Amino acid sequence: MPEPHPTRRTLRLGVCGPVGTGKSSLIALLCRELSAELEIAVVTNDIYTDEDARFLRAAGVLDPARIEAVETGACPHTAIRDDITANLIAVEDLEERFAPLDLVLIESGGDNLTATFSPALVDAQVFVLDVAGGGDVARKGGPGIERADLLVVNKTDLAPYVSVDHEQMVADASLARDGRVVIGLSRSDRASVNRLVTWVRGQLHRQRTGTLVPADPGPMARHSHSHSHDHGDDRHLTEHHDHLPLGTTS
Amino acid sequence: MASAELLLMLLADARLPVAGHTQSAGLEPALRLGLAPDEVEQYVATRLSTIARVEAATAVVARHHLRAGLSTSVVEAAWAARTPSPAMRRTSRAQGRALLRLARTLWPDDAAVATVSGVPRASRAVALGAVAAAGDLPARELARLVGYDDVQTVASAALKLLPLDPSDVAAWVLRALPAIDVMSADLAHLALAEDIPASGAPQIEAWAEAHARTTRRLFSA
Ligand SMILES: Nc1nc2c(ncn2[C@@H]2O[C@H](COP(=O)(O)OP(=O)(O)OP(=O)(O)O)[C@@H](O)[C@H]2O)c(=O)[nH]1
Ligand SMILES: [Mg+2]
Repeated sequence: MPEPHPTRRTLRLGVCGPVGTGKSSLIALLCRELSAELEIAVVTNDIYTDEDARFLRAAGVLDPARIEAVETGACPHTAIRDDITANLIAVEDLEERFAPLDLVLIESGGDNLTATFSPALVDAQVFVLDVAGGGDVARKGGPGIERADLLVVNKTDLAPYVSVDHEQMVADASLARDGRVVIGLSRSDRASVNRLVTWVRGQLHRQRTGTLVPADPGPMARHSHSHSHDHGDDRHLTEHHDHLPLGTTS
Repeated sequence: MASAELLLMLLADARLPVAGHTQSAGLEPALRLGLAPDEVEQYVATRLSTIARVEAATAVVARHHLRAGLSTSVVEAAWAARTPSPAMRRTSRAQGRALLRLARTLWPDDAAVATVSGVPRASRAVALGAVAAAGDLPARELARLVGYDDVQTVASAALKLLPLDPSDVAAWVLRALPAIDVMSADLAHLALAEDIPASGAPQIEAWAEAHARTTRRLFSA
């Protein structure tokens, strides 16, 4: 683990998920909802451009100086998982320049379902899917879908247009996640936005009271036996976050 | 204490977590701004006789200063004077910071690492001097490390940026090795900041400046 921050009050929250599912929009939404009560900064991991950083700066929800873009050399997964140096430096810079920060949001770049954040970089992570990606995605699973601290099924307002039953999608996801939190979200659905904001406040509270232990979704697929019986295994995966879940099969 | 050979392998390994994947050693802007794809091998050689040479010499002299208990500020200043591009100095300092972050975990009690960590904005070359002092890496191996890392940084970035056969790129690296040996033999004995060669590459520096201003880039530098 990198240098420990035993007294760090800032919550480092990762946001990952496939391209175009609404990660930047979710970050902009959180800034809009929370910037009156919280000191916030953002790190983006763009692949080709500083598009995400520019989108957020243009959204006008945060002082542009609080948005930092990290280049990943076409290795977006490496930058959040096996060599988190560039991201950590960006986070630490922001935390130092704008101390005391309450919340640093880190948007991953990249394009697939297997990327998750190292628990050495973030305290908690959100995985974002959208209904337009199809109703099956949540059921198919993957580490982020199954074990990120929060799964967001985004753009529920679009569900009727893409023939997806978004409530079923949320139910499938909840099953795949053994009860971990799933939020069906649309920026035009006030109640869903409130649920998201409440969840973030909850994480912040846990961070401040020292009860938030980063849990690693890990890179591995879930065990093939029925998920309704492997509760114990999953607990094991999330609690021993600094080890890969190798050899934990019962 | 492990052998110098093994330490060198650890430090030269692309898997070392010092954000090496974010670097192209200037290749990305070079290709965008005029270097032809078939000139990349020549680009590697040019860097070895210019920018990498300054960096290797700086690292060697910094190592010497740290072992002798001398201040590295004159070494840092000599490197900065030989690196006129502000963008390149910023990149090097970001890399220095990444390296020192790792070095504090690898050698938590080392005086050289602590000293250079206490200097604001140490360059990568000076940070490497501290790493070599901490790990007892001989000067010649340190210069080899700088040369080798420079070549591999270009090579691995080339694979991302150009349609190349990875085996051909490995062959470039192999062909560059003798030049790295010659360079490290030349520089290993250096002890004084004033003896660091002033062998810049103005075109590469201009490209680095242009890269720092673009909004479309894969690599940080
Ligand atoms: N209908 C609808 N569209 C949304 C919602 N949230 C985001 N979008 C749209 O989805 C598109 C992609 O959103 P982004 O926030 O850029 O997605 P992203 O995941 O950051 O994309 P990348 O960074 O390119 O991977 C944009 O056109 C958004 O306006 C939503 O709740 N409803
Ligand atoms: Mg985005």
